[in-house]
Amino acid sequence: MDRASFEALEGEFVAIVGPSGCGKSTILNMIGGLVTPTAGDVRIDGAPVSGAAPRTVGYVFQKDTVFPWRTVARNIALGLEYRGVTGPERDRRVREAVALAGLEGFEEAFPATLSGGMRQRVALMRTLVVDPEILLMDEPFGALDTHTKLTLHAELLALWEARHQTVVFVTHDLSEAITLADRIVVMTRRPGRVKMVHEVKLERPRDVIRVRESDEYAREYGRIWHVLGEEFAGRVP
Amino acid sequence: MAILVVVLGAWEWLTGIKAISRTPGLYWIDPFFISRPSAIARRFVYLASGDVRLSLWQMALSTVQSTLWGFVVGVSTGFVAGLLLGRNDRLARVLEPYIIAFNSLPRIALVPLVTMIFGFGLLAKVVLAWTIVFFIVFFNTFQGARSVDADLIHAARFLGAGERQIVRTVIVPSALAWTFAALTPSISFALIGVVVGELLGGESGGGLGYLITQSLGTLNAADMMVALVSLAAIGIVMALGIKQVERRLLRWRPEYRAERA
Repeated sequence: MDRASFEALEGEFVAIVGPSGCGKSTILNMIGGLVTPTAGDVRIDGAPVSGAAPRTVGYVFQKDTVFPWRTVARNIALGLEYRGVTGPERDRRVREAVALAGLEGFEEAFPATLSGGMRQRVALMRTLVVDPEILLMDEPFGALDTHTKLTLHAELLALWEARHQTVVFVTHDLSEAITLADRIVVMTRRPGRVKMVHEVKLERPRDVIRVRESDEYAREYGRIWHVLGEEFAGRVP
Repeated sequence: MAILVVVLGAWEWLTGIKAISRTPGLYWIDPFFISRPSAIARRFVYLASGDVRLSLWQMALSTVQSTLWGFVVGVSTGFVAGLLLGRNDRLARVLEPYIIAFNSLPRIALVPLVTMIFGFGLLAKVVLAWTIVFFIVFFNTFQGARSVDADLIHAARFLGAGERQIVRTVIVPSALAWTFAALTPSISFALIGVVVGELLGGESGGGLGYLITQSLGTLNAADMMVALVSLAAIGIVMALGIKQVERRLLRWRPEYRAERA
């Protein structure tokens, strides 16, 4: 990656799109403190990120990272456990999260018995239950079928409308980026740079199905696709 | 069940046929060597009664007790060692040659030495079972501790886990999954270790292995068969019991679910 620079404002939903291997995930890992940049830095509220993961950051991985040996409820309780939240307070917050994710009745189920969409819901709620200020998402819905994906988009937007966390969402799916984000960072091919930062001017709150049928959506899609297409086609500007 | 009846019937019948009809004691298949089911049953009842100095129950109890002790001690030490070495590359590299050398040593060769050090009692048998169980559990746990999914550790860290919490909630459960999978073979090997110890241990060690050597001394095939049948029964019951425990502990794994269905 090379000279990739952008900002996410507080409470903003930023999506990063770009061809595979351009370093989208690396950016997230740098924000999360998993990877140290070889040059330059990452700042959260002006303070540089170094080493371990800051406690205000939540991370939803592309890979299924739900703990297989814990039930749904105990997976969601993890972050609270780590922070020493116990007893009725923990139970209450877990119950709320389970209800928000529509996982009632599955509290005592083990992840192996759930569908991919439900497992990713558990992963999302597990991250949100501790109320992070910044939410990093690395292609969280990449492995899901279109229908499940749209449902989860709607749920994610509803949750985000309620609390307005700062979200950095990495994806290679342009329609996903437009549906969800306020701003889209388009990356170039390797070595990845920021090619364009595009503001999505679709009204909020958005209906994930209806927004796709609007003319504005088609225009946004066309413009970004054109730029992104250059990258996929292999012409380096 | 039908197979069992046929085999027992054939055994009883064939050992009853005399090779030369008028010469006593000359059989076509000699029950002197393999005994007969009826004789075995008689000896079983006799040995299980209170008329003998060391009853079958006492011997079985001694064997089971030593096996369980060896199992528990072996599993717990093997787990701790596997976890420590699995998460500490330097320590693992330093100790690896010794562990491999010790593990390739045929365990039976240790019996005289263990007997010299620990005598003939319960302790010696437990130690022998331990030398086998320890390594089975150790290697499995070691593998488990090494193959902990790094993404799960990252996920835990992002959820706010400290290093000790990561060990407790990610590394130990992942490694335990491998440890539990080694439980069923471990109990069988613990029994082997104990019986080997008993074969040499003499009367003070007691146990069914002692009954076998004693029967060899008196050339009593029926008693030997009693011991073998008892050992088989003990082995099956313990293995099934542990299998149940393993299934319960690993119920979150899909393959264990499928088995139950």
